[in-house]
Amino acid sequence: MSRKFALLVATALTIASPLLTAAAVQAQSVPAGYDPAYAKIIEAANQEGALSIYSATDAAAVSELLKGFEALYPKIKLEYADQNSTEMYNRFISEAAANSGTADLMWSSAMDLQIKLVNDGYAQPYASPEVKTLPAWANWKNEAYGTTAEPIVFAYNKRLVAEADVPKTHADLTKLLTDKADAFKGKVTSYDPERSGVGFLYITQDAQASKSTWDLVKAMGQTGVKLYTSSGAMIERLTSGEHTIGYNMIGSYVLERQKKDPASIGVVLPSDYTIIMSRIAFIPKAAKHPNAAKLFLDYLLSKPGQEAMVARYMGSIRTDLAHINPTADMPEAMLRPIHVGPELLTYLDQVKRLKFLKDWQKSLQGK
Amino acid sequence: MNRATRIAVIVAMAIAVLAPIGLVVYQSFLDGPFFQPKTAFTFSAYEFVLDDEDFYEALSNSVVIAFGMTAIAVPVGAILAFLMTRTDLPGRRWIEPVILVPMFVSSVVLAFGFVVSLGPAGFVSLWVKGWLGFVPWYLYSKWTLIVIAGLTHVPHVFLYTSSALRSLGSDVEEAARMTGAGPLRVALTVSLPMVTPNILYAAVLVFFLGFELFGLPLVLGDPEGILVLATYLYKLTNKLGTPSYQLMAVVVVAIICIALPLVAMQRYLLRTANRYVSVKGKASAQRPVTIGFWRWPAVAVIVGWLAFTVVIPISGLVLRSFVSSWGEGVHLSEVLTLDHFRELTHFPNLVRGIVNTLLIASVGGALSVGVYTALNLAAHRWQSGWTRLMDYLVLLPRAMPGLVAGLAIFWVFLFTPFLSPMRQTMVAIWVAYTLVWLAYGMRLVSGALLQIGPELEEAGRVVGASAGRVSRDLTLPLIKVGLISSWLLIFITFMREYSTGVYLLSPGTEVIGSLLVSLWGSGAVDLVTALSTVNIAMIGCGLLLMSLFGKRSHG
Repeated sequence: MSRKFALLVATALTIASPLLTAAAVQAQSVPAGYDPAYAKIIEAANQEGALSIYSATDAAAVSELLKGFEALYPKIKLEYADQNSTEMYNRFISEAAANSGTADLMWSSAMDLQIKLVNDGYAQPYASPEVKTLPAWANWKNEAYGTTAEPIVFAYNKRLVAEADVPKTHADLTKLLTDKADAFKGKVTSYDPERSGVGFLYITQDAQASKSTWDLVKAMGQTGVKLYTSSGAMIERLTSGEHTIGYNMIGSYVLERQKKDPASIGVVLPSDYTIIMSRIAFIPKAAKHPNAAKLFLDYLLSKPGQEAMVARYMGSIRTDLAHINPTADMPEAMLRPIHVGPELLTYLDQVKRLKFLKDWQKSLQGK
Repeated sequence: MNRATRIAVIVAMAIAVLAPIGLVVYQSFLDGPFFQPKTAFTFSAYEFVLDDEDFYEALSNSVVIAFGMTAIAVPVGAILAFLMTRTDLPGRRWIEPVILVPMFVSSVVLAFGFVVSLGPAGFVSLWVKGWLGFVPWYLYSKWTLIVIAGLTHVPHVFLYTSSALRSLGSDVEEAARMTGAGPLRVALTVSLPMVTPNILYAAVLVFFLGFELFGLPLVLGDPEGILVLATYLYKLTNKLGTPSYQLMAVVVVAIICIALPLVAMQRYLLRTANRYVSVKGKASAQRPVTIGFWRWPAVAVIVGWLAFTVVIPISGLVLRSFVSSWGEGVHLSEVLTLDHFRELTHFPNLVRGIVNTLLIASVGGALSVGVYTALNLAAHRWQSGWTRLMDYLVLLPRAMPGLVAGLAIFWVFLFTPFLSPMRQTMVAIWVAYTLVWLAYGMRLVSGALLQIGPELEEAGRVVGASAGRVSRDLTLPLIKVGLISSWLLIFITFMREYSTGVYLLSPGTEVIGSLLVSLWGSGAVDLVTALSTVNIAMIGCGLLLMSLFGKRSHG
């Protein structure tokens, strides 16, 4: 579906852009369906005149989204700083402590770090007018908002993995790696939960979703799985055939690569359950331009904003756009979203975290 | 410079160095971030790190890698420098700019180039496999890492040594040749010993670079999980879920503990620095040593080194930027594309990033060399406690891995009231870069200064010139070549530096290095390789022009 769809969105955006500009000229009308009082927020935001976003999503991937926002609110000067999620966290807590100005909006795929900041009281509440279009799990206290729904997938090398071997479920994968352990020696890749925060998050979700996760880890261990810290490194090595099966890959990055190189990369949304991760946004208490941040958050959650994200394979969080997502064909019950909420704090507890890593090591070594 | 100015300069430097270092040492004794209200003094961070197996593994890997790469880079770099500057080796004018290539490619990208060429599915590997039926090497072992790290740091040693060799008179070499010494013997017993201080500095610095090596182990050590100190910092953060500054600080303190004895050793070895004076009152002409038959083995060695460190990774990288897919079962002719470059033109802030990078490298680099020269002149021909202090201080900023250095300098800017307005400007980034590369620039300049005989400056003083005038009209012109090559080194270093500035970068001040890293994180390898190819082409042109027009002025 994806390729056609991307084209469709792109066309839609091209047609829509003169309209958007026209709308902007008309003295900033309130978006359709919003309370008329919203005009006050727009006015206040225009007075603030600036917006600083710290994000872990690289600027190239969201350029359409940013352009859309700028066309809608031309008086707000947008500053978008992309950085890795740990740097973002360090920078934010330092700046907040120094009280010398920080981001107006924090937006990151490191879900646990974002929730920690919200839990530590760094966020301010804001009830977005879009909130009714979001699933309940995507909103915590009106402070933390899930903004995307991105599947965690299997990726494989189409040239080197026989069609009959391609696993459809987690159990298939375990079986394949057990039965053909020799053929897949050194050919399986995944995130290293000891060295990668997101990798840790996904494997802990697996362990909660299914008891047989540890069998899968054991099977991966027997093939001498190669563990990495970045998706770029893994996707590249899957393309080249250095590895042939990638476990727990971030769907949006793999789908983006598949679009460019359809002959090499295949994607499987495991049909027993597919973990859904979400990029979390919140407005800091220390924001100097809170109204501009509100406009951006609303735009990000709005239909046009979400469509711009879907064009780059970051699935929509909106329930009314679920049909255009990469996961559109899957039954709702098979999707396992990572809930935006305090559950994410569980493994920030040092003892629990180290215990989990120990279990992981044990299974990996086949004990 | 008079005594008061000298002391003022040294004190200023001490403050700049000790502010971030002091902050880190202080942080190592706390139980939380120093800027949060409820933190207390404790040794628990030391207990945690010293009790962590991973720390010892990372430390021993770092030590082995640092030793190994020094042992490879120093001899190769020194011989290369001798061949390029002192002999009649054919084609040296063309080879020289190529030698510097590994320096200006970001090490993450260079390592990735090796993966595309020599990795298990690399194009060289597949080609060899076609012949032999198997691949006779494994790219991701610790030993390969040492060899690659060693060979890619040859240019550092080369730059240090060659700048000193250039200002060496030919008299001693000629004397040796006349009494029957072969070229190799001249190199090993005459020319290179004359520039011992520079080689020694280079060795210490390469050793240090080995300690904070990040890009190469990040990419090449990833599949086998080979930990070094810099990647250990990442693992530490992740093991606990949130960044733990006190633990990172402890690792830095550990590196400082290794650094200080090293400086002491270096000082001991150089206690009689005046033995290395080569620019004396009496001018001597420079003539290249004829190496006759030896030129062929020499060329073979150089070509071999170039093939491995430059041609193989760079061709992998450039190749990757022109294809949509690679590896087993791919016919490269079917996947050729220019799409990545087309995509690059749509990249936001690209031009601004390139301009910023060029600015910080050229103008910023020149200013930094100015700072380093001023610092050197402050200590020039002055034996005192102050200069001893300075020797120890300059290396300290480099004891912090780039990641921590960036954070510490960011904190200094953030929490110092009069500095905080500058935080998001290019000035802050320049200060950070200048500070972190202090040891490198300082040593380049001081290497040149050591070569100048005191009688020249004394003569200046005798005829009535003030101390300032002697520096301006005598010392500085004499070390011009040294200053130019310092600037070249700093230019290249700043060109690919980013981690130090990572917290100071903001929209408007982005540099290519930071763009590359944020793209790498999201898997946009297409763009990373295209951008690197553009980057290499840009600097390659610059170096080529320099070697075409600049050579003659060196005399």
